[in-house]
Amino acid sequence: MAIVVAENLSKSYGSVKAVNGLNLTLNEGTITGLIGPNGAGKTTTIKMILGLLKPDSGKVEVFGQNPWDNPDIRPLIGVVHEKAFFPSHQKAQDYLERACRIFGVLESRALEVLNLVDLQDARNRSINALSAGMLQKFSIAHALIHSPRLVIADEMTANLDPQARSSLFEVVLRLHKEEGTTFLMSSHILPELSRVCDSVAIVNQGTVWAAGKLSDLYEKYATGIVRISTDEPEKLAAEVKRLAYVKKVETDIRGISVQVQTNKEESLYEDASKMARKIKAKITGIETGSASIDELYKRVVGIKKERTG
Amino acid sequence: MGKSKGRPFMEVLASALHEDYRFPILELFAFLYVLGTFALSSAGTFAYSQTSLTDEAVAYQFTTSILSVPLLIFVILIFKNIAYGLGSDLEKGIIQTYFSYPLKRRSILTAKLLSALGVSIVLFLVFQISALYIVAPDIVLPQLGTVLLTYVANFSYPLLIAGILLLLTFVIRRGGITLVVGIFLYLALSIASGIVSFFAYATESTLILQVFSFLSPGTVLGAYYSSALNPLTAFWQPTLSQVVLSMVGSYAIVAVVFFIGYYYFSRRLNL
Repeated sequence: MAIVVAENLSKSYGSVKAVNGLNLTLNEGTITGLIGPNGAGKTTTIKMILGLLKPDSGKVEVFGQNPWDNPDIRPLIGVVHEKAFFPSHQKAQDYLERACRIFGVLESRALEVLNLVDLQDARNRSINALSAGMLQKFSIAHALIHSPRLVIADEMTANLDPQARSSLFEVVLRLHKEEGTTFLMSSHILPELSRVCDSVAIVNQGTVWAAGKLSDLYEKYATGIVRISTDEPEKLAAEVKRLAYVKKVETDIRGISVQVQTNKEESLYEDASKMARKIKAKITGIETGSASIDELYKRVVGIKKERTG
Repeated sequence: MGKSKGRPFMEVLASALHEDYRFPILELFAFLYVLGTFALSSAGTFAYSQTSLTDEAVAYQFTTSILSVPLLIFVILIFKNIAYGLGSDLEKGIIQTYFSYPLKRRSILTAKLLSALGVSIVLFLVFQISALYIVAPDIVLPQLGTVLLTYVANFSYPLLIAGILLLLTFVIRRGGITLVVGIFLYLALSIASGIVSFFAYATESTLILQVFSFLSPGTVLGAYYSSALNPLTAFWQPTLSQVVLSMVGSYAIVAVVFFIGYYYFSRRLNL
C-alpha cells in the first residue's frame, strides 16, 4: 500500500529549481533511502511531503491526504529534521514528556525512547546543553515518541559518531521488523544507507532518476560489474582497460570496479589474474554482482548523463 | 485516521510560556510593571487633586498618566516575545518542530500569541486595576466608563505595533534582525506621529487628526476629555461618536493586520 505519493512535484527558490517534476511512491513497510548529492532536492522533497513547503505545482499525498496544515496525519508520522531544534531551556526528559502529552501517549514512553537512543544519562540536561550528536539522538527519540507508522528522516545520522550510527541503524531495523514502521531516510552518505534500505530513490537535479527495490535496481543498472580487490589498483586498472570487452574501470585505494559487456565476467576473472601476475600485483578478492550502493548510484547518474548528452 | 487524544494546544502554549517567561524575565517585567504603575499613580493622584478639571477629565488624565510607562513596558515585552522570540523560533526551526504536532497552524500561532501577548496583558491589567483601586478609588469608582474607555483607546496602538511586528517577523524570520528593524520602525512611527500632530496643529487641520486617530485613538480621546490642557482642542472638539468611531476603526485595523498574519502563517508560510 502506497502511503506517500508525490506526482510531478516542482518547487523553485527564486530562479533555482530545487525540485523539478519529481515523482515518488513510498510503500508501507519499506525502508527507502532518498539518495543524491547535496543540492539534489532531497530536503525540499521531504519538506513538501511533511507539509512544510507548498509545491509550486504537482501534488503530494501522505496516507491519502494533503499534508499541508493537516493535523490528522501528524500522529502517524515521526520527523527527524536535518537541523533539529527544540525549545532550548527545557530538560530533555521534560520536553519528551510534553511530547507524550501532545500525542496522548503515556509519559513513561519518554524514558523508553531516551533509552532506545542511548541518551538516558542526559535526560536531566537542558536541551541547549546537549552536544550536536546528542541533539540528533534527541530528535530521533522525539520522532519515535508516538510510535509512528512512518518515520521521515532528513540526514538522520548527521553529527553522529560511527558507533552511534551503527546502533541507530539497529534501532531502525528493529522497529521495521517488530512494528512494521516505514522509513524514508535521506542521505548523501551512501554506504550507510545500503545497510538498512530495501528500496532507494536516486534524486538528482530535482527529479528522481531511478527508484525501486534495491535488488531490482542492481539488476537493472549494476550488472556486469566486477569488483577486484588488489594491492596495485592503479597498475591493474591500466592493464584491464586494454581489454576489448571492458567498458569502464574505476579505482579506489582497495581495488578496482570493472564494468564489462554482458556475460564477460568469467573472461575478466582469467584475464585479470594473468595481468596481475604479469605486473606482480596481488589479487585478494574478486566479486561479481555485488556492486555497492555507491556504484549503483554512479551507474544511474552515468547512464542518465549519457542519455541527456 | 485517528484523532489525537493528547492536548497539543495546551502543551505548545505551556512550552511557549516556559520559553518566553523563563527566570528572571517574568519577575523582572512584573517588577517594572509594579514600579511604573504605582509610582505614577501616586504622583498622578496628587497632581490631579490640585486641578479644577471636571471629574471625567480628572479620571481620564489620571488613567492616562498611570498608563504611559506600563504601556511602554508592554511594548518592550512585545518586542522581546514576538520580534525576537517568534523570530528566533522561525529562524532556528522550533516552529518546524511544532508543525510535526497534531495541531492546525493557526492554533500554533494562537498559542504563541497567547504566550507573547496574553500574559503581558494580564500582568499589565492586574497591576493597573490594583493601582486604580488602591491609590485613587475616589477618582476611579465614580468614573468607571471613562477609565474603561481610556484603556480601550490607549491599547489599540500597542496592539497595532504587535500586529505589524508579527508581519515583520514572518517576512524577516530572524530574531535579532527583526528586533532591530522593529525598534527602528517603532521609533519612526513615534517620530511620524509627532510630525503629524505638529503639522495638524500648525495648519489647524482636523482631517489629519481624524485620520491619525484611526491608528491611535488615544489622540481623539485626549482632545475629547481635556479641553483645557490639550493644545489641539483650540481648533478640534471631537464628539463622543467621533471617539467611538475612531476606536472601532482602530481595532478594525488591528484585526485586519492580525488576520493578514494568520492568513500568511496558515496558508503561505513555507519553512
